Amino acid sequence: MLSGLAPFFANGYFWHLPLIIVIVSLVYSATRHDDWKLIGVEAYRWGVRMVTFLGMIGLGLYVVTLFT
Amino acid sequence: MSSTLYSVDNLSGDPPGAKQRFLQPGVLGGFLSYLVPGLGQAVQGRIGKALLFFFCLNALFYYGLYLGNFKNVYLPRAKSLAPQTLESLGLPLKFPNPIVYRPQFMGQFWIGVSAWPALAQFFQYDEEENPGPDPLLGTYQRTPPEAELNLLQNHGDKSWDLGWVYTVIAGCLNVMVIFDAFAGPVAPPEEKPRDKRE
Repeated sequence: MLSGLAPFFANGYFWHLPLIIVIVSLVYSATRHDDWKLIGVEAYRWGVRMVTFLGMIGLGLYVVTLFT
Repeated sequence: MSSTLYSVDNLSGDPPGAKQRFLQPGVLGGFLSYLVPGLGQAVQGRIGKALLFFFCLNALFYYGLYLGNFKNVYLPRAKSLAPQTLESLGLPLKFPNPIVYRPQFMGQFWIGVSAWPALAQFFQYDEEENPGPDPLLGTYQRTPPEAELNLLQNHGDKSWDLGWVYTVIAGCLNVMVIFDAFAGPVAPPEEKPRDKRE
C-alpha cells in the first residue's frame, strides 16, 4: 500500500512542506508568547495540528485515487 | 520619558531576575517591524524573538522568490487590461488594475523593505512599453513579459506558483509580527504577586 505513495513524494515540491510548517509554527507561536518555553510548546502543538490536518487531506485524496 | 519605558523579566539571554528598561510596544516598534521583520522587537530588547522573526520570515520570503526564479514578486500597471467592477452585482465599485491583476502583492507588501523594489519598478516603469533594465535594480521584481510568465506557469514544475504562496505567507506572518511589536504578545505574561516589602 505504501508503495502507492511513492509518486506522491517523487514530486519534488512536497519536500518544501517541512520548511513552511516549521516557520509558520514558530513565528505564530512567538507572536503569542514572550517566554521561550511557551513558544516551544505552542509551536510543537501547531506543528502537530498542521501535519495532522494536511496528512488527513493527503490520505483522503489517496483513498479517492484508489477508486478512480 | 519614563512613560515610554518599561521593565521586563526573563528576556532571552538575560540572567534570571534581571531587569532592564526598553522601549515599550507601540507604533514605532510596529513600523520598524514592518520595515524589517523583527526590528521592532530588537529595539524593544526582545533580541531572541527579533532574530527568530528576522531569519524565519526572510528565509521564507527569499526561498519563495528563489522557487519562482525571482519572477513572482511584482506589481503590474496592467493599463491595457479590462478594469474589473462589481456592476454585475449592482455595486458601482471599480478596483485598481494593479491589485485586480496581481492580488498576491497585497500579501507580499507586508514583508516590508524586501518588497519595495516591486513598488519602485511599478512607479518608474510601464511593463507594456518594454523598458530597459533599471540602473540599480535591473529587472528585479519587475513585471515579467507576458510570454515569460506563460512559460513559467505552463512549462514549469509548479515551483513558480509554490514560490509566490511562500512569499505571501511570509508577508501575512509579518502582519502578526508587526502587531506583536505594536501591542506586545497576544497572550501577555501572568503578573507575579508583588513582594509586600516593596
